[in-house]
Amino acid sequence: MIDFVSVAILLLSANSLLLPLLQIPKQRNPRLPGYVLAGVLAAVVVLIGLSTEYPGTIAWFGTLLSEDILGAVFAMVTVGITLAVTVASFDWQKGPNAPVYYSLLSFTALGMLLLSYSSDLLMLFVSWELMSLPTYVLAGFDKKLRSNEAAVKYAVIGAMSSAIILYAISLAYGLTGSTQISAVVQGFYQLLATQSSSSVLASLAILLFIAGFGFKMSIVPFHMWIPDAYEGAPTTVSALLAAATKKAGFVAAIRVVLAITTVYVLTKSPLFTTADVLAALALLTMTVGNISALTQKSMTRLLAYSSIAQAGYILIGFVAYANSPGSTAATIGMTGAVLHVINHAILTGVAFLAAALVLMQLRRADLGAYNGLGRRMPITALTLSIALLALAGVPPLSGFWSKLLLFLSVANGPFLWLAVAGILNSALSLGYYGWVVKRMYFDDPESPEKVPEPFWFVLVFAVMVGLIIGIGLFPQQAINFASGAVPNIAG
Amino acid sequence: MNSLADFVMVSAMLFGIGVYGLITKRNALRLLFAVELMINAANLNFVAFEQYLPPAPGAQAALGQTFVLFSIALAAAEAAVILAIIVVAYRLHQDVDVSELKTMEG
Repeated sequence: MIDFVSVAILLLSANSLLLPLLQIPKQRNPRLPGYVLAGVLAAVVVLIGLSTEYPGTIAWFGTLLSEDILGAVFAMVTVGITLAVTVASFDWQKGPNAPVYYSLLSFTALGMLLLSYSSDLLMLFVSWELMSLPTYVLAGFDKKLRSNEAAVKYAVIGAMSSAIILYAISLAYGLTGSTQISAVVQGFYQLLATQSSSSVLASLAILLFIAGFGFKMSIVPFHMWIPDAYEGAPTTVSALLAAATKKAGFVAAIRVVLAITTVYVLTKSPLFTTADVLAALALLTMTVGNISALTQKSMTRLLAYSSIAQAGYILIGFVAYANSPGSTAATIGMTGAVLHVINHAILTGVAFLAAALVLMQLRRADLGAYNGLGRRMPITALTLSIALLALAGVPPLSGFWSKLLLFLSVANGPFLWLAVAGILNSALSLGYYGWVVKRMYFDDPESPEKVPEPFWFVLVFAVMVGLIIGIGLFPQQAINFASGAVPNIAG
Repeated sequence: MNSLADFVMVSAMLFGIGVYGLITKRNALRLLFAVELMINAANLNFVAFEQYLPPAPGAQAALGQTFVLFSIALAAAEAAVILAIIVVAYRLHQDVDVSELKTMEG
């Protein structure tokens, strides 16, 4: 039996290392490195889809990686988004630096793939860094003031979050004597059952984990770098940051924070419950994200705040799980959270790529450039409208179903207020999403001439819109797919 | 004074100094130093725990030291990337003060 995931890891590693060597003198085809990466990523997605033996182990990695459905879902989503970004970059990056650009994308994809399957804190940390370091460089890839500013802010904050995670891991190791996640969970359980004084350190470790992962997951109050980094970075890279690396933050949080949370509820820690902390963060994240997005003048900045708000919705599922692991509400909540991660990756990814195309063709990112876009770039405008409406949760598009599951999961229980807040926030978000749609279809353009829409962008848009409408019309299949990942959470 | 508590105390102080530096300093290089302090605080924790605590049943031998080796290598890679970004920032601004970086607002 061939182990498909190890083949995928090997392929992606080789590709990342060899791609920069592809600088042939007098290059015939400036897009060649992009084509190579797109082919490899497509192969990796297929290989992940082919492996059906769960739970399995991945050769050469021992207990560092474990092959389960949770990992497979997140690996497919993150690598798939990287593939979309790669295809959309064909027209964006084709200069002499293109091999380096695609190699960095490849390293990021490898980091996210390994992170999704990590079952050991050592592997988790190494793949976290493998994912983060290339994105610091990618954020500063344009030799412009803004791109560099984005890179400085992102890199310093990112390094800080890595340091916080490392400290939290060191505490967890000190308390339990192991870095294997399941052993850490077991160790925490024994520690808290005996109610020793170490439970303060254990709580500190959990808070540090939430903070460290929170920087990547763009949770308020750890979000301050997000708008600047997403606006300043090349917009295709913003799509990668918002749609892919952020999701990798979520899988890390699911694997570590939620696993440890299981123990907390069982032992009734007197200090705080993780559900309370997560609920407060969810409310803050939704509200701050949506209210800040209302007043934005730049499309990329608006999408950045919208992406922050969406992270708040996903946290609702975490709250339902942390409140009572193993209950039906927890299952519904985590199914909703995983489905919303998938939806949000597709929706934010396609919205940022549409913004990238507008920026590339019109050289403008302010909302004024979107006036009358429905007549100038009909395909882009239609795609962007569908993505924005789905982000707002308009039925029958994909975003509606995952939000429904998330709000249902907390409707019975002490966190009902969170569901109410979520619904109010969705209504609020329609304010700015609808505003952009109105600009594109009802306002007069500044100049009437048509703008060309390159083939590769249109291809990505078509596939993504197909997925958005497909998930919206056939939610049962998508929900089944997402719920397959839920039993893997307890660790 | 060679107990585990001493090491953990020193490590917590290092981490605190790092956080303080990140909050108060505005020079990009100082921010990098602060992050390095935080990473080294965690490294100190790992070695101290390895030295003083019994390993969990089934855990690998010298796990703490192994982790530190990985983390030192990663910290070096991180420093290299961030320094490169700061060099570009210096070329663009003739300065590495992060409070000068405010072309984007809102």
